[in-house]
Amino acid sequence: MEGKIIVVTSGKGGVGKTTATASIGAGLAMEGKRVAVVDMDIGLRNLDVVMGLENRIVFNVVDAVKGKCKLAQAAIKDRRINNLFLIPASQSDNKNVLIPEDMVRFGETLKAEYDYILMDCPAGIERGFENSVAAADEALVVCMPEVSSVRDADRVIGLLYARSITPKLIVNRIVPEMVERGDMLSHEDIVDVLSVDLIGLVPMDDNVIVSTNTGNPLVLQKESKAGAAFLRIAMRVNGRTDLPIEVPRAQGKFWKRMGTKFGLGK
Amino acid sequence: MSAEQQDKNAVRVKGMGDGLCVMLDPDRPPDVLEEELTRVFTPLRHLAVNARVMLDFGDGEGGDALVGKLGDFLRDSFGVGEVARIARRGKNGPDERLRQRDMDQSWHHYRSDVLMLTGRVRSGQKVTARRHLLILGDVNPGAEVAAGGDIIIMGSLAGTAAAGQTDDLESIVLALDFRPTQVQIGPVMAAGLPASPRPFPEYAHVEEGGIVVEDYIRANPFGRLPWPEVR
Repeated sequence: MEGKIIVVTSGKGGVGKTTATASIGAGLAMEGKRVAVVDMDIGLRNLDVVMGLENRIVFNVVDAVKGKCKLAQAAIKDRRINNLFLIPASQSDNKNVLIPEDMVRFGETLKAEYDYILMDCPAGIERGFENSVAAADEALVVCMPEVSSVRDADRVIGLLYARSITPKLIVNRIVPEMVERGDMLSHEDIVDVLSVDLIGLVPMDDNVIVSTNTGNPLVLQKESKAGAAFLRIAMRVNGRTDLPIEVPRAQGKFWKRMGTKFGLGK
Repeated sequence: MSAEQQDKNAVRVKGMGDGLCVMLDPDRPPDVLEEELTRVFTPLRHLAVNARVMLDFGDGEGGDALVGKLGDFLRDSFGVGEVARIARRGKNGPDERLRQRDMDQSWHHYRSDVLMLTGRVRSGQKVTARRHLLILGDVNPGAEVAAGGDIIIMGSLAGTAAAGQTDDLESIVLALDFRPTQVQIGPVMAAGLPASPRPFPEYAHVEEGGIVVEDYIRANPFGRLPWPEVR
């Protein structure tokens, strides 16, 4: 098996990297792929909580990289979604405990076991970022429709290009009503600045908070728009590039949209 | 130099297109010039018949009467065709000489001082040019571009631009979509420039100690120059 390592990164913190990693990982596993999601935020682990697997951690990624345990011992199998595994971060170490060369070697081991390996990159562009991208084949950059998030994403995209990785963009937490009012950047504005391929648009969704708190996978919540958007992103990652990108729309604007389409109003 | 030698240098002739160019020293007396013309033209008699002759008095002041007199002499003695004086557009001042040098030679041998880049300068990246900087692409927010001379952005400028580093106040910053975070020209700095409602070419330059941003097409700052200059 020759898997693919995809790093999920953003530069800025709090934009939804961990949620995106958990949801896209779950989506890929639901597509029938063998998937490992790796929490690279050493010292500040979260992915285990988001996936509801925090009480099953025995070994972590540092143990696996340093050879203190086997990969299979560090990988926690999700009981709700087949073929989905979590390799948690260490909570007691700091990011400097690993070096990029270690991660390149560990990446080879992971690729032999899994179809897709998603690295949940910590915020920032220091050692944690370098470790996360060291073995990556592809990258997903998560960005919110905010100027600060766009700027940090731009910085990270530059660093990824410098490592010969062409990233794809996820715009997260879109509030369509605010975009229509002109109070929020539209995804076109963001793509204009960042100039990378878009792979998905995710609307703001209260279910994300519920899912994060309860540890229930977002993609299993049928009424979750964000979950559905992440599922579509997972399909595109898995090669369904023909799947159209759905633009989040405000509720109850059907007639307005029809009017716009036929040249009436704005 | 002997007087005889000086007289011999008073007239020189060379081919010019389909005619002859005769360079004369206007300070010599007309009879000396006629003698010298005879000496020079006698061996060229077969070429002189019906030839167009241009008289060149250099930068000196040769009277039109002298042109007429020597023209008649050449026509009568050697059967030349049209005789005229080479037209000079005023004196060769420093500007004229510079222009001639630019037009004739410099552009062919000019080694460019321009750093020309294509693509997008992203947040956190810094591009520095020794002299002028031309970017065919965009400069994103958080990116920095700096140059010893002008900065031209054929795209949107949303980052920081520092032209004329470190003390050239004549430099400009030009962008097709001008909305920089900060602009610096030489030591003069400006920030918080109001964004235009729609993208159009604007440029920043220093005027009376402050940075002024103007519509480039309307201002056309270099359109008033009489001829192209190397910047």
